[in-house]
Amino acid sequence: MSNSLYWMQCGSCGGDSMSFLNSESPDIIELIETFNINLLWHPSLAYITHEQHTQVVKKIISGEQSLDILCIEGAIIRGPSGTGVYDTSISEPKKDLVIKLANQAKYVLAVGTCASYGGVCSAGGVEGTGLQFHKKNNGGFLGDSFLSKGGYPVINLPGCPCHGEIIVRTIMALISDSKILLTEFNAPINWYGILVHQGCTRNEYHEYQVEDKVFGDKGCLFFHLGCHGPIAYGSCNKLLWNRYGSKTRIGIPCLGCTMPDFPQPYPFFSTRNIEGIPLSLPDGIDRAHYIAYKGIAAATAPKRLKERKTNI
Amino acid sequence: MGKTYNLEIPLNRVEGDLELKVQIEDNRINDAWISGVMFRDFENILKGRAALDGIVITPRICGICSTGHLYAANKAIEMILDIEIPDNAVRLRNLALMVEMIQGDMRHGFLYFFPQFVNITYSHIPMFSEAVRRYAPLKGEIYIETIKETKKLLEIMGIIGGQWPHTSFMIPGGVSAIPNESDLVQCVYLLKHFKFWYEKRILGCHVERFLEVKNASDLDIWLNENELHQKSDLGFYIRYAKEIGLDSIGKGHCNFISFGGFDHNIIHSGFSFEGDIEEFNHEKISESLAYSWFKDNNRDEHPFQGETRAYATGKESKKYSWAKAPRYKGIPAETGPLSEKIISGNPLFYDLIKHKGPNVFIRELSRLVRVAETIPIMEKYLHEISHSEPFYLSPKNIVDGEGFGLINVARGALGHWVKIKQGKISNYQIITPTSWNASPRDSAGIRGPMEEALIGTQIDNISNLVNIEHVIRSFDPCLVCTVHSLKIRN
Repeated sequence: MSNSLYWMQCGSCGGDSMSFLNSESPDIIELIETFNINLLWHPSLAYITHEQHTQVVKKIISGEQSLDILCIEGAIIRGPSGTGVYDTSISEPKKDLVIKLANQAKYVLAVGTCASYGGVCSAGGVEGTGLQFHKKNNGGFLGDSFLSKGGYPVINLPGCPCHGEIIVRTIMALISDSKILLTEFNAPINWYGILVHQGCTRNEYHEYQVEDKVFGDKGCLFFHLGCHGPIAYGSCNKLLWNRYGSKTRIGIPCLGCTMPDFPQPYPFFSTRNIEGIPLSLPDGIDRAHYIAYKGIAAATAPKRLKERKTNI
Repeated sequence: MGKTYNLEIPLNRVEGDLELKVQIEDNRINDAWISGVMFRDFENILKGRAALDGIVITPRICGICSTGHLYAANKAIEMILDIEIPDNAVRLRNLALMVEMIQGDMRHGFLYFFPQFVNITYSHIPMFSEAVRRYAPLKGEIYIETIKETKKLLEIMGIIGGQWPHTSFMIPGGVSAIPNESDLVQCVYLLKHFKFWYEKRILGCHVERFLEVKNASDLDIWLNENELHQKSDLGFYIRYAKEIGLDSIGKGHCNFISFGGFDHNIIHSGFSFEGDIEEFNHEKISESLAYSWFKDNNRDEHPFQGETRAYATGKESKKYSWAKAPRYKGIPAETGPLSEKIISGNPLFYDLIKHKGPNVFIRELSRLVRVAETIPIMEKYLHEISHSEPFYLSPKNIVDGEGFGLINVARGALGHWVKIKQGKISNYQIITPTSWNASPRDSAGIRGPMEEALIGTQIDNISNLVNIEHVIRSFDPCLVCTVHSLKIRN
């Protein structure tokens, strides 16, 4: 039995598809072959005519063609005034097709932050939203009670873009009937249960509060340059990008792109603070204790860190 | 008198959402309308945000050209700050953009364009079974190799850029990280690995040999020189493309535009009209909204003055696209690798278009061989990076002003125009390469370059529109980029 997969792009930049193409182990060809995937449609990869595509969609909606996995990339665009005219396919709002397909699918994956929570697309005037969340609020486009035929809510794979490895491993888990535990924002705990800070190569600087105020150095970016590493959930420093990188590894603060409120309404590249201590602190921490701890840590900082003499 | 057909066609295997309407009479296209059918309101998202936020937000316009947007956004801010960046930063930025270009050229070619060669229309051609072996979607040898090799090349972006897509390593003043000696050696290896594959598989010869090809007759000599050249993917392309007539479709307006690139005059800027190349001046750019779903003031405006208000009219009015219509001196122009070669005076491509103008064959050829010219420059950059020189010079605080960043990226000329007022973005306008190519008609009713290129295309069988696909894809359209730069006034 093959496993059918339909990939649809809505209000998207295509970045998650590019990331999917970058997946390493397995790559997409191996994924398709070893897990016997019948790729019904992907806008960049499918080679069928418009008529054949229309037939496939019709068969899915009528139930004649089973749909195991529906991947949605990009926000659901509802504007203007709820019509969906800002994002159409042959004059039909794509949002209407999303509902019809989601109702037939065994599993629905929201690939990327836009599909998960609205992301960049929810920030402007196109009435963009995530499939089952709008920012932090459960509901989104399909409503908070939506469950796919397989008994899951929409499984969110946030990230701008989502790491390709997370996409393929989630697809493999679903096909293998492996249980997927979800966070409060319905993202798999295996990938979104840790902080971006975990595995950051600047950790020693963070530990002793050796903080950078300008770019281009080796210190921690949390206190002044707007890094979300200690407060954002994602595996960027565990599951590296393109085998080598992450934002913090090349001296760019984590932008919090896996979080439901991305893009934040306040400026990137500067940390909001109260008397020099970041306004947002790691989950579960007591502010007074944190201030005391950081004071001692800073006083303890070794000279080699203060002089930025370690390699990172 | 033959039949007249009006067809509406959505197109996949392009980046984003593109639909076209064509009118066919006597088996030839006699009119065409191209529509961008999705828009995301990026300009409204940017307005009112902090000055530097554009370098985070604008790469999200496009998942395949994100490095290009990052570069242009930084250049615009650096113009306002009136700063130069260190040579090392220029080298790393250009290296990253070149990686993005190469992966784009290869993925476009072998994942989007070449699969058309296995269209059933061509099943009678002796070379067809060979085309299937090479280019069948998800199964062809080169299709699979392209996925593997472009992915591996992008590891350079992991090292110097932290990630791809949506890298953020460029910041006003330079780049945020200094790759160490070992990182650079790994980049040298990754580039060598890619070059080895490209030479063996795509060219069938060394890059240096191919760069000796200076005109159409050299190209024939190169092709017939030996079996390796003939059997390489480039050799196969030349033979197959001529067999199926790609050199006789997709001419278009024959005007070209390039914003220049890589800061070292590697790609020149300019505008070519009827064979004459003139100096480029960004003030001569304007955008028309006459056929776009926006309210217009009945005049074309420069991006610094541009005002756009969404106006979804439905099918009743003459408006038909969410893309705007950029023009240079009021004239439509195509952009992309062929344009940059024409404007930079590349002798091979100048010779190829000299007699009959551009066509699908030449356009796609320019993309396939651009890699050959790019790799030696990348090698030079990697060699020149010096740890005794700076990579970043911290700029002074952001000041108010206006600036633009114009640069050629994978698909051609990309421009960002930004105004900063009281430390915040007061206006942001973007014209992407595909805005030029896939533009709708302008206020004078003149078709956009892709629309014009479709005129006269032979359609023998109304249920097989492969010739249309060839023409459209020869421009490598990226619609997610195009339908971006619109803002709504409530």
